[in-house]
Amino acid sequence: MGKTKIKIDYSKCGNATGGIDPRSCGKCLFVCDPAVFVRHPAIGVKEENPYDPRCWQVTAVWLDLCTRCGKCVEVCPQKAITVSW
Amino acid sequence: MCKWCMKHGAGGKWYLNARNYSNELAESMNLRAYLEEQWRNFEQVYIRKIMGVSSIGLGYKLKMPIIGRLIRWSVERMIHSESPNRNPVRADGHFGQVIPIEEAKLIMMNLAAEPIIRNYCMCRMMQKGIKDACCINFGLLSGVIEKLPRFIPENMKTRITREEAVEALEEQNQKGRVSTVWFQPVPYINAICSCEVPQCGGLRLRMDYGLYTVYKAEYVAEVNPDLCQGCKACVARCQFGAIRFSPTLERVIIDLTKCFGCGLCRDICHYNAIRLVPRDEVPGVKGKY
Ligand code: SF4
Ligand code: SF4
Ligand code: SF4
Ligand code: SF4
Ligand code: SF4
Repeated sequence: MGKTKIKIDYSKCGNATGGIDPRSCGKCLFVCDPAVFVRHPAIGVKEENPYDPRCWQVTAVWLDLCTRCGKCVEVCPQKAITVSW
Repeated sequence: MCKWCMKHGAGGKWYLNARNYSNELAESMNLRAYLEEQWRNFEQVYIRKIMGVSSIGLGYKLKMPIIGRLIRWSVERMIHSESPNRNPVRADGHFGQVIPIEEAKLIMMNLAAEPIIRNYCMCRMMQKGIKDACCINFGLLSGVIEKLPRFIPENMKTRITREEAVEALEEQNQKGRVSTVWFQPVPYINAICSCEVPQCGGLRLRMDYGLYTVYKAEYVAEVNPDLCQGCKACVARCQFGAIRFSPTLERVIIDLTKCFGCGLCRDICHYNAIRLVPRDEVPGVKGKY
């Protein structure tokens, strides 16, 4: 099996204008049985207030464990996730 | 006993040595500012580049011919580091071991330093989006976590007594979670977790990538073939795929090489058919943590 790539459009989820705060969603984290995603404070964002939604985002970390089931793509209310290989 | 018992066990197991829980030790290691910095952005630990490499796509990186071996070596060195030049944005000297419920309770009753708190499990929050107040932290770390609102349970007391902690651990055991005890950083002990594969970060790195973030317990499970009724209740309890029902034998069999010695199968068995035996007494798994 080749490498899996998972992209999250941060203009739709977290960290940018118009996106939603991933802390109030997290649906991708919940549906992914192998737990590929991690929700975390973004690196490099100046945190005057660490609870500022721009500071949080989701990253697909454990890419090799993705089974390409497509559940995260389906569940994302923002259509922010693409899984490709 | 593993090498950490030799180093920090004072003749016994590392996690039963009272010194490793003491405030004096935490202070002599200068840990308050370090832990505050570490916990503030702990969820970044997999995203951050550590020595030039982040955990994103770690499985692929570990498979690269020479670089993979190098990464493995440097991650192991980091997790088990005892160097005083710790870096709070990494997980220096942070690793743990599976323990059966009776030892977790013994630690809560006799060894853990006060104050004792329960807080949301960071792993479950960052990898599942679930708030579950199952982590028990103590000593210096309690005050550090109490300053971070995202870990503080709603509608629940944060500070708890030893008895309440034991009750909480029992409840987690009944749910099927594995007790683990943690150095953070070695040799200071400040947490007992109730973990679940695959969203526990420690167990993930161990189970999926073979990194020694969590050691197997000092025990392995043994079935008594005369007592086992073949009810299969224990099978559903094993997170490590170590136990299965054999239709031929009409009882369960345990793969000792996979068994983490958590005792969850034993705790559910109504027929007392499973016991934990010291790992060191079974030549095939002796020393294999
Ligand atoms: S495709 Fe399936 S396995 Fe892969 S990240 Fe999405 S939910 Fe997880
Ligand atoms: S499901 Fe979509 S919107 Fe929700 S946290 Fe995941 S990526 Fe963001
Ligand atoms: S080690 Fe286990 S209980 Fe502790 S934070 Fe991680 S999953 Fe939660
Ligand atoms: S729970 Fe006990 S009796 Fe039932 S199958 Fe397991 S070992 Fe046998
Ligand atoms: S066989 Fe029993 S003791 Fe061993 S890992 Fe599984 S549940 Fe734990």
